[in-house]
Amino acid sequence: MSIIRVLGLLSLCACLLSSCTEVRAWERGYLARDEMAWEADPLESALNDHIFFSKEASSGGNSAAGGGCGCN
Amino acid sequence: MTIKPLLQSLLVLTVGTLCTVSGAVEEGDTAPDFSLPSIYADQPAITMAELKGKTVYVDFWASWCAPCLSSLPLYNEIYHKYKDQGLEIVAINVDNPIEDGLDFLLETPLDFLIPADPDGDAAELFEVYGMPTSYLIDPDGTVRLVHMGYRKGDIEIIEAAIVSSLAGK
Repeated sequence: MSIIRVLGLLSLCACLLSSCTEVRAWERGYLARDEMAWEADPLESALNDHIFFSKEASSGGNSAAGGGCGCN
Repeated sequence: MTIKPLLQSLLVLTVGTLCTVSGAVEEGDTAPDFSLPSIYADQPAITMAELKGKTVYVDFWASWCAPCLSSLPLYNEIYHKYKDQGLEIVAINVDNPIEDGLDFLLETPLDFLIPADPDGDAAELFEVYGMPTSYLIDPDGTVRLVHMGYRKGDIEIIEAAIVSSLAGK
């Protein structure tokens, strides 16, 4: 019985995952919009970084390269 | 109760997911037909069927795609060089809203056909998998070259393929 439950759960997960949709290449402009940024205000973001770096005595490693455009 | 139906449904889901990533237009395929309005309100719609018999270079671009913007002025030069030999360039803009694309065109006027595809209908037909992607289509409608991305020097590869297509080789 337990294996059936596990398989049932797995198939339920698979069904739910199938509702996830990928952002197609031509839709990536939506990701490039200002409102999609993690930090809406660059000044506030710079201040937060400054406080973080001061507290941790280290810098960098808080962001990733690229904007998700998928160009090239 | 058996586990067979569950396994079968899992298999169907897996196959279904895999099927969604295939179907992109490749070299040797027949180019899909599309009809799109021009990005300019005062210009007629652009239909692929009307361009049959010409070498057509179809390029998908958007204002948010930096490599697209660097390639378009070069395509304009290529267009002027080969238009008398039967080359047509169709640069499909996928900006939504289209005003983003028009803003770029105000600064960089382009002389070839520019249809607007804000809903991605033509991009869906070609199954574009990166931006920019371009397709060189022979006069008989066969896709000769699929080119994804744009790097410095790519224009030479594209121009060579255009010249071969125009020569009917």
